[in-house]
Formats: sequence, structure tokens, C-alpha cells
Amino acid sequence: MNEPIANSPPSPASGSAVPGEGGVSPDARRPWHKRRLLPSSPLYATLRWGAAGLFAAIVVGLIVSIVSQSSQAFAHSGISFLWSGTWNPDAGDYASGTLVVGTVITTLVAMIIVVPVGLGVSVSLSELMPRWLAAPLSTSIEFLAAVPSIVVGLWALLVLSPVFATDVEPALEGLPVLNRIFRGPAYGPSVLLASVVLAIMTLPTVVALSRTALGGVPIADREAAMALGATHWQVVRRTVLPGARSGIAAAITLAIGRALGESIAVALVIGNRPAIPHSLLAPGATLGSAIVNQFAEASPGLGTSAVIALAGVLLLLTILVNVVGQLLVRRRGGRRLLGVRGAVV
Amino acid sequence: MSKLPSMQVALDGAMPDMGLAEVARRRLVVRDSARRSIGRRRTAGRAMQVICLLAVPIALAPLVALAIATVSKGAGALSIGFLAHAPTPEGVPGGGISTAIVGSGEIIAYAIALAVPLGLFIALFLFERPGPIASAIRFSADVMSGVPSIIIGIFAYAVYVERFHHFSDVAAGFALGVLMLPIMVRANEEAMRTVSVDLWEAGISLGARRSRVARSVVLRGALPGVVTGNLLALARGVGETAPLLFTVASPTFAMTLLIFNDATQPYPDAQQTAWGTALVLLALVLILSVIARTVAWTLNRKTR
Amino acid sequence: MKQNDAATDTGANHETDQQTLFGDRSGQLAKESRVPAGKPDAGAHGTAVTLDDVSISFGDHVAVRNVTLQLPAREVTALVGPSGCGKTSVLRAINRLHDHTGGVVRGTIRLGSLDVYGTDVQPEVLRSRIGMVFQKPNPFPTMSIFDNVISGLRFNGVRNKRLLREMGIAALHNAALWDIVKDRLHQPALRLSGGQQQRLCIARALAIEPEVLLMDEPCSALDPVATAKIEDLIRHLSGEVTIALVTHNMFQAARVSDNVAVFLLGEDRVGELVEVGPTDRVFDTPSDARTKAYVTGHVG
Ligand SMILES: Nc1ncnc2c1ncn2[C@@H]1O[C@H](COP(=O)(O)OP(=O)(O)OP(=O)(O)O)[C@@H](O)[C@H]1O
Ligand SMILES: [Mg+2]
Repeated sequence: MNEPIANSPPSPASGSAVPGEGGVSPDARRPWHKRRLLPSSPLYATLRWGAAGLFAAIVVGLIVSIVSQSSQAFAHSGISFLWSGTWNPDAGDYASGTLVVGTVITTLVAMIIVVPVGLGVSVSLSELMPRWLAAPLSTSIEFLAAVPSIVVGLWALLVLSPVFATDVEPALEGLPVLNRIFRGPAYGPSVLLASVVLAIMTLPTVVALSRTALGGVPIADREAAMALGATHWQVVRRTVLPGARSGIAAAITLAIGRALGESIAVALVIGNRPAIPHSLLAPGATLGSAIVNQFAEASPGLGTSAVIALAGVLLLLTILVNVVGQLLVRRRGGRRLLGVRGAVV
Repeated sequence: MSKLPSMQVALDGAMPDMGLAEVARRRLVVRDSARRSIGRRRTAGRAMQVICLLAVPIALAPLVALAIATVSKGAGALSIGFLAHAPTPEGVPGGGISTAIVGSGEIIAYAIALAVPLGLFIALFLFERPGPIASAIRFSADVMSGVPSIIIGIFAYAVYVERFHHFSDVAAGFALGVLMLPIMVRANEEAMRTVSVDLWEAGISLGARRSRVARSVVLRGALPGVVTGNLLALARGVGETAPLLFTVASPTFAMTLLIFNDATQPYPDAQQTAWGTALVLLALVLILSVIARTVAWTLNRKTR
Repeated sequence: MKQNDAATDTGANHETDQQTLFGDRSGQLAKESRVPAGKPDAGAHGTAVTLDDVSISFGDHVAVRNVTLQLPAREVTALVGPSGCGKTSVLRAINRLHDHTGGVVRGTIRLGSLDVYGTDVQPEVLRSRIGMVFQKPNPFPTMSIFDNVISGLRFNGVRNKRLLREMGIAALHNAALWDIVKDRLHQPALRLSGGQQQRLCIARALAIEPEVLLMDEPCSALDPVATAKIEDLIRHLSGEVTIALVTHNMFQAARVSDNVAVFLLGEDRVGELVEVGPTDRVFDTPSDARTKAYVTGHVG
């Protein structure tokens, strides 16, 4: 992988053309990256610029190809493809409305589960536990991030889903008041199960980023509270959590982005019924799960274009959420989070 | 409040001349409040702490359950033959996953060939050229790393499969590469940032060519971080299914697709194969992560 | 709970006796209206804080050793000495902030007659009697100006809205900040200038009506004008509160303190207290040769 660099000729000769060679260069006071010292070797410059250009081409290509390939579907259904109607290829009905609703509901329920749990874990790891305990626990949770989504999906389908069908879902139906959103036959695969799977899969994102945010609250703020007579929890509640607020918001936003786009595991456990679910125990579908399930069966031409249009809608949704998330992360100066930790995110 | 001696603090006016008696009285209020409330404050705090701590086992339970299920169900399928033999047709017992292992390896190789060098050069670009172009690239890399993998699969389908009218490991490798690229770019850049700008500057002012400085100063210093980041990105790529869904010719040509396919089969034998493959995949990902962590850890120890 | 109970229930607990509210044992001042402008003689009101043979260590590293020192009540005691000699460590030992950083405190520290490290002492309650101002202004960044001021009262369970308001305003007056912030009490605290932020931190510390105020180089991040304001404040407050002031500025020590404690680094790089006494005497006729060298080196 280093080969292209190693190939560049290490000749010192070509550098002598530059004025100031050997002494302090005339533009030594300029910022280092703006200095016109030695010219880059042409090969190296080409490689750098070429790589940057290629990346730009990939980003633009992704957007252009999805937009152009979905144009047929939009021509067929009009702009109302975005919100209205049902997905029923047999009847020639192509629209993403019900799928968007399904996506939003599963993501919302997943967040209702994962945010309190994730925050509890983050606070425990960063504020309550001694290091020797927090370190291995957080490594385990980061390992959860590395588990491929297909393995989570397999486990959810073959192990969790039967448990839901026999125990969890009947129990939820027995709850007073809440059973209005938990009703209908207990199949196992359902909107609820998909949400639980999404909660499991986004937990590491929430924990990793919130923990960094909590840890970033200056010791000076904590000590200020302590010195005023605050108890340990008061320090956490009144200074650490508020101080980490924007970082936690970023964590949740990026988790939402992940939950919106997760498709394989959801496709395995949601039951795939492209209609607005009447209950959380009913089967449903999301944009991602519909793309997974419909693509192979789609008729060439319009059918395929409609599935690609679903991808376009999903792309729009996730880019919106991610841009908000990135801005939140950036405002805190937390770029580092998306570096090496990006694999976790 | 009626019993409280009225506090002679005019709410909006200037500060009245308060005597020490006034100070003493206020002191008394705070002391007494602190002492009386401490039991309540501590108890409430402890209750909240217990609630937070309860979240930890809740969070770990799925991980543990998943690990136990995969190991116990997958171990039964594992054997030399399982790894070395080709799959049998659906419903026919026996057979292995050799084609899936080879296929996955091929796809990953293409992905590495695309993403690793490209990621390095893009990161060098970002490192060397702060400015609007770099900011734009950095921002798109961040946004790209949030683009769902299924969309990248559709993209690869659109630019390759649809154009050349056949499924291909090259297309799949391209998809995986595009998926890993933004993660690698940001990880590489972060690693390069840890190399002091002074060294870079010194190299440049000594009259070395940029390429030499890049090679001998930046890359050498950043190497451990680069390796860690790339391995973590790779671990993520290895486990991806969605980008392969529309690019690989048959589910028997990639491990993740094989799991996806067999998980939904009614035959116990197929499910057994799915668990076995899941175990292999999990082990692979775990090994990659552990290596990545070890590299990072060794680096941290060296620099301290 | 009701605050009126708090104020009337004096006899129940010996620690709320008016004598101890000022950290002294003479018990004759609660009725005075205001301390006369002239400085009282050192120790006129007894001793607020007593350190007896105090050593502080971090792991194997001893930061400061065998400090025996008394902070006279309602006077300003300046702690001076070279960097690293343990001034901050001593200050933080008084309100038990080392409990959280792994510092070990040996010896005895008393607040009035209370053993600060006694087994039945609740650190939170102890800290509510001691105010602290840090080197760098550290108002709570997510709170408004006024919420910052009353945060300590809230921490200590004061919930009565009127009381919070009255005491918050009084603290702002006390910190000479009221006229500056009265029209923007609900703006974020970080919008204030550095000097104003530091005075806000002083107001925050004063709002809990501390008996002792610990100030760790409160002016080191400030310009001369802001520094002068804080020095005025310190002089003004010394009638009510016992102040321990860490400073590197000998002129500042001379200007505002009644007493000086000089710390130096010993042979083995462990900090120790070499001399303590009334400011005039220590600066004019130091009894210890090392003090003389240090003080003249920094003044002359
Ligand atoms: N939390 C800590 N852990 C370990 N060592 C510490 C800690 N805090 C202080 N020390 C050590 O204790 C010694 C005294 O530090 P301290 O901060 O009290 O000095 P200081 O007199 O306040 O110095 P300065 O004037 O620079 O503020 C130093 O050697 C320091 O390294
Ligand atoms: Mg200090």
C-alpha cells in the first residue's frame, strides 16, 4: 500500500530551482501549508489530487445515480411518492408513505428504549464505576458494535423472536392502558421486535459518544459544584449532564441515523408487511427492509426504479439526520469521535 | 415564612447596610438547610445511581445472550469439512461454506485494494491542504460514513451490475470499499494529526520533497493509528451484508449472504449452517478488533 | 422542607450556635453592626481554621509536610511561596477536595472546633460552610448568571423561591456585581468578561454564606483593573469571612492580607511552611533567612 509513495524519485536535484534553497526561504513566515517550498513530485501530487477527486466523484456519483435511476418511479407516481399511498407493486402502486411511517415508528420506539438505557450505562461507566470495572465493561459494549448486523439479525430471528411470541408479547398485551399499542396476535416478528433489535444495535453508538461527552466536562466544573456542598449525584445531575448535553444530543442523532438505515437485521424480524402497523406487535416494514425484500422481486424498469427511489428517500432522511448530528458533534469540537472511533459509530 | 425575621434586603434597590447579625442569620439558614437536607439528597442520589447501574446488565444481556447462542449453536456445525466443502443445494444435508469463505475473501481483497490506498492519499490530502476543499471532503466523509450500507449496495448495483449486466465480486468489492473508505479517511487523518506539525515543517524546510516527508515523517509516525483505523474499518466491512445483496451472483458466494439466506430457510440443516457461518464471522471480526486494539495499545504505551 | 424552621431552630444543634457561625470562640460579635474600618489586631476574633502538623501526599510523593498554621477568624491570610510547594494542596485539604483526587491528608485540620476529617463529618455539609474560588474562573457554563449565584443554595436544599432570590441578590451585592448584572441576570454566565466571571464565582461562593473563603490565585487570569476590583472585594469581605488567599504576587499579599504564611520547597523538594505571622512583620523583618531571600527576591 505504500508502493506508490515509495516509487516517487527521491532526487534532490530538481529542488534546486526554487529560490531560497539552502537558506531561510522567503515565505518562511507563511503558514506551513501555504509555503511554496519544493514542488511536490508530480507523481505524489497526482496521487493526492487524484484520490481527492475520486472521492468527490464517488460522492457525487452516488447521489446522481440514485436520483437518475429513481426518476422513472417519480415520473410514474409524481412527487407524492415521498409521502402518500401504499406500496403495492402488484397493483402498480409505488409510494413510500407507509414505509416512511414504518421507518419512523421503529426508530422512535428504538430510541425510547435505547436512550434511557444508553444514558444510564454512560453515566455508570463514566461517573459511578471505578476504572477497573468501567474499562472492561465499555470494551464489551464496544464489541457489541463490532458484531455484524446479520449476526444480530440471525439471533433475533431464531432466538429472540420465539421468546417474544411466547412470553414477551402476551405479557405486554396484558398490561393495562399500554395494551392499546400492544395488541393483536403475538407472531414474534413485529415492529416491536425490530425496534428492540435497533435499540441493541445503536446502544454502542449512544454509549461511546455520550461517554466521551460526559468525560469531557471539565474537572473545574465538577469541583466548583463539589466545593459548594453538592453530593456526588448533584454534581452529575447539575453540572456533568448539562455540560454534556450537546454531545449527548449528537450521540442520539447519530444513533437515529443508524437506526433509520439499518436494513438487514430489520428485514429479518419485522415481518415485512408494507402497511401502517395498527399495533407495535403487528408486522410492518421500513424503507430499508422493503429495499432488501422487494429488490430481487422487482420487475425490471419501473419496479427496480421504484425500489431505488426508496433508497433515495432513505438517503435523504439519513443525510438530513447525519448532517444535524455532524454539526452537533462539531460544535463541541468532537471531530475525533468520527476518526478511529468511527468504526464504533 | 411568617416566623422568619423579615430580611431587610430591598429586592431591587441598593444593598442595605447589613450588620453581622444579618450575616449570622443567613448563615444559619444555609447551615441548617444543608444539614437537614443531606440525608434526603444522599438517598435520592443513591436511588438514581442504582437506576443508572441497573442499565448496565440490561445493556449487556443481549450481548451475552447473543454470544452464548452463536457459540453454542455454531460450534455444532464447525468442522474441517464445514470450512473446506462447498455448499449442498437447499434441503440437502451436509456440505460446507468453502465457496462463501473464498468469495468473501475475494470481495474483501477488492475492497482493500480500493479503499486502503485511496484512504491514505485522501487523508494525506486533508492533512497537507487545510482549506475549503479539504473541509468539504472531510464533511462529505463524515456524512458518507452515516449513509446506510444498503444504499451503497444500490449504488454499486447502479454503476456496475446494471451497466455491465452481470453480478460480480468486483462490484461487491467496490461497494464494500466505498463503505469502508470514509471511516478509513477520518481514522488516517486523526492518526496523522498526532504527528507533530513541527516535524512535518522541519522536513519541508530542510528541503525534502513533500512525498519524502509524507513517507518518512507523517506515515511513519501515523502508522500504528493508520493500521488500527484500517483494521477497524475492515472489521466493519467484513460483517456487512447489505452492499453485497445486489452485487453478488449467489448467496453461496459470501458468508454474510449465506447467513441471510439460510436463516430464513425452514430446514434445520440450513439454520445450523447459518449459525456455523455466524460463528466463523464473529470470530473473524473479533480477531480483527483485537489486533486493532493491540496495535493501538502498543502505540499508546510506546509514546508514554 | 420549610426554611422558617431552619432559621428558628437554633438551640437544637450546637454547631449552629452563633459563636461558631463565625468560626471563632470569643462569641462577642454577633451583635456588632459592622467591623470598624481599622484592622483589628491579629487573632482578635479567635481562630477559624487550625492546621496541626498536616502533611499531604499523592501516592509516594509527599507534596507538603508538617504544616502547623492557624487562620485567624475574619482576617485575610495570604499563602505565598514558589510553584509546587503545596499551597493549593493545603487549601484543598481544608474543604476535603482531596477526597476525590487520591490525595492523603495526615495530621489534624479543624474548622472552629470541628475535626474536618472526623469520622462523623459529612464532607458535603462541611463544604457548605466553606467557600472556594479557583484559579481560573469556572462559572457553570450551562447556567444563567443568577442560577450560578444560587446554585450552592440549591445544592444545599434551599428551595424557597423568595429566600433564593434574596440571598442571591445579597451575594451579588456582596461581590460588587449587582449593578453590572442586574439587567441580565438570566443571560448565560459565560457572556461575562473574565474578571466579571471571577466575581460571579466569588458571589456564588458567598451565597452559601461561608465561614471561610478559600481563594486559589483568584487574580492570576485577570488584568490589573479586574485584579484591583477583586482586591477591594477581599478587603471588604474580610470583616465577615475568614479568607485564605493563595497568591504569587507579594504586592497583592502586602496590600490585602493581615497575615502571611510563607511556604518553600525543602531540600527533598517537599513543600514546608517556613514562616507565618502578621504581614507587616513578615515582610519587614522576616525571621527566617529563606523567607527573606524569597520575599526580597519577589519584591525588591
Ligand atoms: N492530584 C495530584 N496528584 C498528584 N500529585 C499532585 C496532585 N496535585 C498536586 N500534586 C503535586 O503536589 C505538589 C504541590 O502541588 P500544588 O498544586 O499544591 O502546588 P502549588 O504550591 O499550588 O503550586 P502553584 O503555585 O504552581 O499553583 C506538586 O509537586 C504537584 O505535582
Ligand atoms: Mg496552586
